[in-house]
Amino acid sequence: MKTNKYGPFVGRVAALIAMAFALPCGLPGQTASARSSGGSGTSATQWSVQVDQIDANNLDLSYSFQIAIYENLLVELNKTKQFQQVFRDGDRRARKLPKLLVLKTTVEQYTPGSETRRAVTTVSGATKLTVRSQLFTREGKVVLERTVAGNVRFFGSNLRATHNLARNVAKTIKQSPSLGSAVAFGATQAGFRG
Amino acid sequence: MDCFIVSCTHSKTYHLGRRHALWLSTVLLCGSLIAPAQKIPQIGDTRAPFSTRATHLLGFANARNNSTGILSVQHDSLHFQQEGKPGAQVKIGSVRGVFLGGDSKQVGGLPMTLGKAAAPFGGGRVVSLFAHKKYDTVSLEYVDADGGIHGAIFQLKKGQSEIVKNELMAHGVTISSHHVQSAKQGAAEVGHEDK
Repeated sequence: MKTNKYGPFVGRVAALIAMAFALPCGLPGQTASARSSGGSGTSATQWSVQVDQIDANNLDLSYSFQIAIYENLLVELNKTKQFQQVFRDGDRRARKLPKLLVLKTTVEQYTPGSETRRAVTTVSGATKLTVRSQLFTREGKVVLERTVAGNVRFFGSNLRATHNLARNVAKTIKQSPSLGSAVAFGATQAGFRG
Repeated sequence: MDCFIVSCTHSKTYHLGRRHALWLSTVLLCGSLIAPAQKIPQIGDTRAPFSTRATHLLGFANARNNSTGILSVQHDSLHFQQEGKPGAQVKIGSVRGVFLGGDSKQVGGLPMTLGKAAAPFGGGRVVSLFAHKKYDTVSLEYVDADGGIHGAIFQLKKGQSEIVKNELMAHGVTISSHHVQSAKQGAAEVGHEDK
């Protein structure tokens, strides 16, 4: 009998307690999702990137190296999936995009190596490349600036240094924690300017 | 030779009979028909499409990287054909620059490298001293339909890059002094390899 008398009361109390726990838990969950959706709006994945041709900076860097760096950068940036689209220099489709970053690469140091010397001595003949990579917004704001190196020390042809360099540049861009916020900052700056 | 025959026929037609004159005129007619036929293959030879064996290092249309095939100039396009695979081509009109270079590489690939590493008493290093070969590189810069700039690099036998350059120049590709400078630089690199 007693259980029948207090049964509805206990049920209501249990329901209230459950709601009391559910509400505070539910709200932070909602805000988190809202934040994440808002965050993704400003993350780099919403942006596209245009890779400019390599600036040799008056160094004696052969054109095959410049082409190899440029082409390898396009491949490696596509692999990272950090950007919606990766455009080549001069691509007309990139002009229409509102969210576009431009990657400029300037060669700072180049040490020509020799595959034969590497094979014979092991310790000498390394091909070394150091570049300064800069990501700009369309308005010219620097979003990211890093100095990256790419070498070939033991095995492989001299052009392999360009592949290693491009992979390092892509990795640097991918691992950069400030890229999302920096892009957002650049976007707000552009918004104020626009 | 032709002139001699003609003079001969002229002199003999007056002295010999009508039959001989007919015979000689038939020979002359046949000769005149054969002469242009002999010239046609010569013209065909000069217009034969240029082709050379090359290794595509990177960047050319849809061709696979580090693949060997035939690089040729066909009509108004530069064509790269791998064995048993569909060819890749780029319009010569879209080529903006040709850059020549040169380098040196170790021959034998990965098996040779492993063999040299396994050789005792540093024998692999001695082999490396001689197991290298010079080659030419041809770097192309071309533009796609959207205006995007592409770069492609081919590796050719020593001395072949000049021929490719001349062939492309004959098809209207302009090569500026900067490109010549690059070629000199490439030669300097090869010299550096020799040291």
